[in-house]
Amino acid sequence: MASPSILSRLGTWEGLLLVILVVTVSVNSAIVPQFLTLQNQINLFQLSIEKIIVALAMTFIIINAEIDLSVASVMGLSACAFAIMVQSSVPAGLAIVLCLMLGALAGGINAFFIAYIGIPSLVVTLAMLIGFRGFARVLLEDQGIGGFPAWFNSLGRDAFIGPFPLSLVTFAILFVLCAVILHCTGFGRQVFVIGNNAEVARYSGVNVKRVKAILFIACGVISALAGLFYAARLASVRGDAASGFELDIITMVLLGGVSVFGGRGTIIGVLFSILIVLNLRNGMALMNITGHIQTAVIGILLIMSVLGPNLAERFRDLRKPGGAA
Amino acid sequence: MKNFHPQTLRLTALALVLLGTVLFFASQIDGYFTPRMLNRIATSVAVILPIAIGQAMVVMTRNIDLSVGSVVGISAYIIGDFLGTYPDVHPVMVLMMAMALGAFCGSINGLLVSYGRVPSIIVTLGTLALFRTFLVEYSSARTITTSSLPKWLVDLPQQTLFSIGPIDFRTIVVMALAAAVIFWLALSRLRVARKLYAVGSNPDAAVIAGINSARVVFTSFVLSGALAGLAGFIFLAKFGNITVVAGLGFELKSVAAVVVGGVNIFGGSGSIFGVLLGTVLVDTIDNSLTRWAVVSEFWRDALLGMLIMTAVAADTWMSRSFGRMKSKAALENVKAPAAAGAKS
Amino acid sequence: MSEPVLELRNISKSFAMTAALSDVSFTVMPGEVHAIVGENGAGKSTLIKIMTGVYQPDQGAIFADGKAVTVRSTQEAQSIGVAAIFQEPMVFPDLDVAENIFISHQGMGAVMNWRELYKRSDELIARLGVSLDVRRAASGLTLAEQQTVEIARALSLNVKVLIMDEPTASLSAHEVERLLTVARALKASGVAVLYISHRLDEIFQIADRVTVLRDGKHISTRPIAEVTHDGMVRDMVGRNIDAFAMKTKPNPLGERLLSVERLSRAGVFRDVSFDLHKGEILCFAGLVGSRRTDVGLALFGIDPASAGRITLDGKEVAITSPQQAMALGIAYVSEDRRKLGLAMTMPIFANASLPSLKKFLRRFGLIDRKAENDMAERYRKQLSIKSPDVVTEVGKLSGGNQQKVMLAKWLETKPRLLIFDEPTRGVDVGAKAEVHNIIRDLAKQGVAIIVISSDLPEALALADRILVMREGRQMGVFNIQDSTQENIIAVATGQSSVEHMALAS
Repeated sequence: MASPSILSRLGTWEGLLLVILVVTVSVNSAIVPQFLTLQNQINLFQLSIEKIIVALAMTFIIINAEIDLSVASVMGLSACAFAIMVQSSVPAGLAIVLCLMLGALAGGINAFFIAYIGIPSLVVTLAMLIGFRGFARVLLEDQGIGGFPAWFNSLGRDAFIGPFPLSLVTFAILFVLCAVILHCTGFGRQVFVIGNNAEVARYSGVNVKRVKAILFIACGVISALAGLFYAARLASVRGDAASGFELDIITMVLLGGVSVFGGRGTIIGVLFSILIVLNLRNGMALMNITGHIQTAVIGILLIMSVLGPNLAERFRDLRKPGGAA
Repeated sequence: MKNFHPQTLRLTALALVLLGTVLFFASQIDGYFTPRMLNRIATSVAVILPIAIGQAMVVMTRNIDLSVGSVVGISAYIIGDFLGTYPDVHPVMVLMMAMALGAFCGSINGLLVSYGRVPSIIVTLGTLALFRTFLVEYSSARTITTSSLPKWLVDLPQQTLFSIGPIDFRTIVVMALAAAVIFWLALSRLRVARKLYAVGSNPDAAVIAGINSARVVFTSFVLSGALAGLAGFIFLAKFGNITVVAGLGFELKSVAAVVVGGVNIFGGSGSIFGVLLGTVLVDTIDNSLTRWAVVSEFWRDALLGMLIMTAVAADTWMSRSFGRMKSKAALENVKAPAAAGAKS
Repeated sequence: MSEPVLELRNISKSFAMTAALSDVSFTVMPGEVHAIVGENGAGKSTLIKIMTGVYQPDQGAIFADGKAVTVRSTQEAQSIGVAAIFQEPMVFPDLDVAENIFISHQGMGAVMNWRELYKRSDELIARLGVSLDVRRAASGLTLAEQQTVEIARALSLNVKVLIMDEPTASLSAHEVERLLTVARALKASGVAVLYISHRLDEIFQIADRVTVLRDGKHISTRPIAEVTHDGMVRDMVGRNIDAFAMKTKPNPLGERLLSVERLSRAGVFRDVSFDLHKGEILCFAGLVGSRRTDVGLALFGIDPASAGRITLDGKEVAITSPQQAMALGIAYVSEDRRKLGLAMTMPIFANASLPSLKKFLRRFGLIDRKAENDMAERYRKQLSIKSPDVVTEVGKLSGGNQQKVMLAKWLETKPRLLIFDEPTRGVDVGAKAEVHNIIRDLAKQGVAIIVISSDLPEALALADRILVMREGRQMGVFNIQDSTQENIIAVATGQSSVEHMALAS
């Protein structure tokens, strides 16, 4: 949105993100000399490629004033379904298509309950977080399945264009596509208005249900795609594949300045926060900090990303007595 | 029908579903109606019930507490560790410590939600990870084993407080039920407790009515934490062997029990009796599936997810048709004017 | 006369650079109804918030029973005997009436004594001269009943000064009468009522004294006997304004645009039939809850009709969604700007283009921002929306200007049929006249217009015909020359049967 006040506010938030990013990168590269090489940067994208792809879809969902807690379970379900299909000698290419359709179906189930039955997305996707994960477990029980075709395993690893693997190219394309759709099209405008006030949108002739349904189905497909990249990266899948990823994904989006109450946010902000989270995790890994502590740091970041602006606002109110009339 | 209330209908339906479920499994599983099976379900309920009660109070204020599973883990592990070093502390003291530990964790959530004005879903998603990390670091991958625990605690799950006919009431089950009764009485009888409903029912009106909403929400998180601490104690007693994954996933189970038990996810209404029924239903299904040969036990989570969706969808549908029924009756009462339909 | 129960002395309050109140003083005597009037932005809400402890004054002092007090919270205001009820009642839908009344009462003990609670609630409700089942859940109460609950709540706290902020804005004539009865009962029991309202006729019915505020300054306080209608309006706006005249004969009509036959929605309204011509203004009158808005929503496809026939321009149509209604050239300007009308944190241009967004889409669904901006600029000038530009957030505009953005948004869809729901609710006297002029101009251009209004003088000033509804039924359609406030109210409340009235033919 081009309102000067919003621009300046987002400007400061994104400015802050940029400062944090620069500090993180400089500290990391000061401690670890090989940090700022292209290969290391590609590596750190590769390690989290599933999450950052889904973060793009989640940005739309949260701006629309909804939430999707089931993304990680859909990723897991897609990965498990792929594994079981390959094991039953379904051609991998066909399995990929079927998995994407499975993602659309999962998103469609969410969309049905949220948009058409009118149950809050928090409840629906919480139930589906359990439900879809449950189906993933039903498929694989307690086995781990690998033995995917070599070309599939190389999708996230081998250079595809220049030094960049296909997964990273996919992310880049999706990023540009999402930025244009969100900020320059009528559909994106509708997403913002619904997030701002869904009833106003409905009374203005926006097909709110359809927009929500499209978003959740798209989110399902993208999560399924991300699940496949996850399977390709690890070359083997278990029932708990990708579990808990929703925390990182939601953190990336909220840290990027997207309002948890909807109606506000930019894709650029989310990109900055993705870079921050990736660099932070990578830096910590290079400094031999365990995965659990990394998760805790992400958890703190998540809370701070909302608490920070709140405290800042309170501080402003104190300095300027009275606040709004 | 004058005092007919949708909540009554809701609880009746839930009780019938529970009865149906029990009868179904009884017809499928040999020797289902044994004291052993009953105890199995009851001790399983004993762990989840306190968490579900705490969760219910948080949900009533329009919030959610996803960190309870991690709090159960912290409470169970740290108390177990403590007892390994100081086995002579009085049991009541130990119980108090478990609850205080939980209450402390809950107060962190409460502070951030009430006074930091961060949505509860964000806060507790964050502390879910934070508390668990703390536990992992604290434990440095050690496991608490039964051998390091005092005898009274190891014997506690088998200890029977009293028996009615062939049914034994285990102490830990009675503890959980006592918590349910206390909170049931408090929520329906205590003036301060009614503020939970008021804040969830209409937060703006609560401010106008001079209710300190922030404090009410804070209190609900502290209580939820304390009850998770209690559940941690029961968990420790029940299993004896505690690893860092203790209580993993309990947050989802408690939300399931609360939602199935008819607590309105938008806040403002719900009863502890409903939560009790919801918890029993969820745990009955959970425990019976592991004994049912027809489907694999891996179906548990998938079924749990579908159960929550069914409960919520049924609720939404029921409250809507109830509203329609009422307005229809009202319209029938108006006499049509003789000249209605006159037009230019 | 006795001591004032509440006195404000030289109160000033500013926000950032603007002074909301400067040097305002007045007294409230026990048992009086004291009206406070002024245009939007005159400082009434700030004054209420200072008296109820939401804001602290920058300067000045408050005296209760002659003693200086500081009021830092709603609770402190209650402890000195000041409470307020607002236009939108604040009840707890999940609690029953009795518990709603005593929710903030400290003197009832720690344990709930339900029997005592019901008994005392019954007594309080009886004191107000109305009947209400105190065991009912508050979720099913009408607006007026919810207000009764709030007043009873204030009474339970032994208030000495009850502030009523626009209490009748959403009430129908019948319910207003009931509220005024309650206010008189309060007055008789020695409670002072501070009555804030845009509806000047009510003030003449109920008030003992009137205080006028303008631009945050105290203009006058006079006994009602010394106040004239015109004088009060002059004090409020600082200049003369013509009260809107009653219309006595309809405008010449164009050809028939819309014909509605036995339109019904199960459980909501039934058998509504009328014709509407190009350039005609048809007003829907009736009590709040008479389902007038629901008929409008059915025509706009939000809550589609379940039976009956709609014929538009000679073709029978089924309207099941707003998109469909808009494609047919129907627009609905909602009564609730904040909840249904405007996206408050979004800029003017985005609100204005929302229903007609398709017009501004180019290849691949991209928005033509320049065309969009030009359109918004055009309306800003044409409707004289007071804003420096069109990228300002709508939430930062005044109520009247927000209403104009709503109009812009729907005018851009070039409607053939425009439905206005309470077009001037919460809009001050000056802006009200502007909105009325815009509606009349539209009719002159041949747009068919339906105005749903609870403000009878407004309906009588605008309408060519008036359709009266009661509890989901159409009670009759009157030509403007046969309509008076009295006979419309009589039909709307069911005190008079339609046969005795001259029906439009």
